[in-house]
Amino acid sequence: MNSIDLKSILNFSAFRPEPDDPSAPWKKRFPAEKTVFFGLGRASLSWRAISRSGKPGDLESVRAEPKEILAQSAEHIKPLAEQGWCAVSLNTRYVISLETNLSRRTGSEEMLKTNARGVLGGRYERGKRYALTHNPETNSSILLTFDEDQTRKVESMFSEAGFRVGRVCCGAYVLLKHALAVTNTAKGSEKPVSAFYIVCCEGAVCALVQDQDRWLELRSRTDVYEEDVTPITDLLAPFHSRLSPDVGITLVCDEPMEGLEDRLAKVFPNREVRDLSEPALLATLMVQN
Amino acid sequence: MQITGRQIDDFKSDRKDITPPLPVVLRLVPLLFYCSIAVAVILSSIFAIQFQLAVQKRDTHKAMSASLGAQTQDARNQRAALETQIKKATDIQNWVAGSRPLQPLLVEIARSMGPRSSIVNLRLDREADNPSQYKMALSMGTDSTKQIDLTMEKLASLNYRAFSPTQTLGRGELDYKATLVHQDPFRQQNEEAPR
Repeated sequence: MNSIDLKSILNFSAFRPEPDDPSAPWKKRFPAEKTVFFGLGRASLSWRAISRSGKPGDLESVRAEPKEILAQSAEHIKPLAEQGWCAVSLNTRYVISLETNLSRRTGSEEMLKTNARGVLGGRYERGKRYALTHNPETNSSILLTFDEDQTRKVESMFSEAGFRVGRVCCGAYVLLKHALAVTNTAKGSEKPVSAFYIVCCEGAVCALVQDQDRWLELRSRTDVYEEDVTPITDLLAPFHSRLSPDVGITLVCDEPMEGLEDRLAKVFPNREVRDLSEPALLATLMVQN
Repeated sequence: MQITGRQIDDFKSDRKDITPPLPVVLRLVPLLFYCSIAVAVILSSIFAIQFQLAVQKRDTHKAMSASLGAQTQDARNQRAALETQIKKATDIQNWVAGSRPLQPLLVEIARSMGPRSSIVNLRLDREADNPSQYKMALSMGTDSTKQIDLTMEKLASLNYRAFSPTQTLGRGELDYKATLVHQDPFRQQNEEAPR
């Protein structure tokens, strides 16, 4: 035991998870520290300060090459994070797909990091990072795939700008899981849920069709929209004919999008639209989990 | 269907040497450490305050003791002065009391002086070994020895007899020295009666 260990015991930091421990919630890793939450698009970068109490601040967004934005605005953004710790939501260059017959062994979702081949079997590709959400009632699963090199590049880009990356996640995937968790709450198959999930996160759109607990179709596109929501409705319009008449729409966005609900009501007439969007929803979820 | 997984999947490159946090119960260790420091500080403060108070008390008592010592010394000095005065007064009182038997003798000597005689100096000494005798030294301003005879007659009337008289006459002054012995007339009569 050296002086650093003693210091960490005396200031109670030894009883908290380390800042880059991915298994611990953000709030426990940084209980009284200001951090920054970045949203990284293909040609945009947004950031939002997280206060010491874990409350997200106002969103700032710039449309340009993220590396250039970081180089120019790093000095402006750095004071928002006391120790430089930040979380990054990758909103581009990922794939969310619907898979079937993946391994359902206990802990398979956690095993993806250590032995992805054992879980994914033939779908495994070298140089990718995965996340997995199983449908407990069927053999389908939602699979998120990231390019490992791209992730490393993002980490090095933020490190070069003077930040310490504490978490890299996919905003659309987080919001989709949140929507699924909010709507699918009844245990077993007695109360099956049918819904058309629409997820919008800083230009990325993901749509999932769930019919009687069965995941039927998933479509995910990045860099679909900027300010105008028309590309979203254009992307989703083909689903209208394939949806059952009683299926409602569950909309979740990282920020409430003005006019989107009305446009969806026009594209999907006679369907109930349930909007789960809240201001700074993604940042709040990121802090809480 | 229930989907409960709310944990955010993290794609960050993992650091290999991440250590899990220590058990919560071990928080007692630093808590006890801080508590012991707080108790030590509180006790030290109390001891320091008590020490200051004790020092102040000691200084106060020292000052009081010094003041009382000075007062005692003043009282002793005053007492010594009073004792000195008392001794002087006692000496005077003793001298007055001791000289009372001589007063008739002195009065008789003074009365025996004739019109042309005066006492220049008169000294009567009584020795501790023989207090019934007086050594008289009388200087008179006179031009004859009659005056001394007259004075000695007067003293004889007071039952004093002179022994070993010496007298010196010169330039109008007579120095006379003798030892006066008081003779008890009753004792003299008793001694003469058997004869």
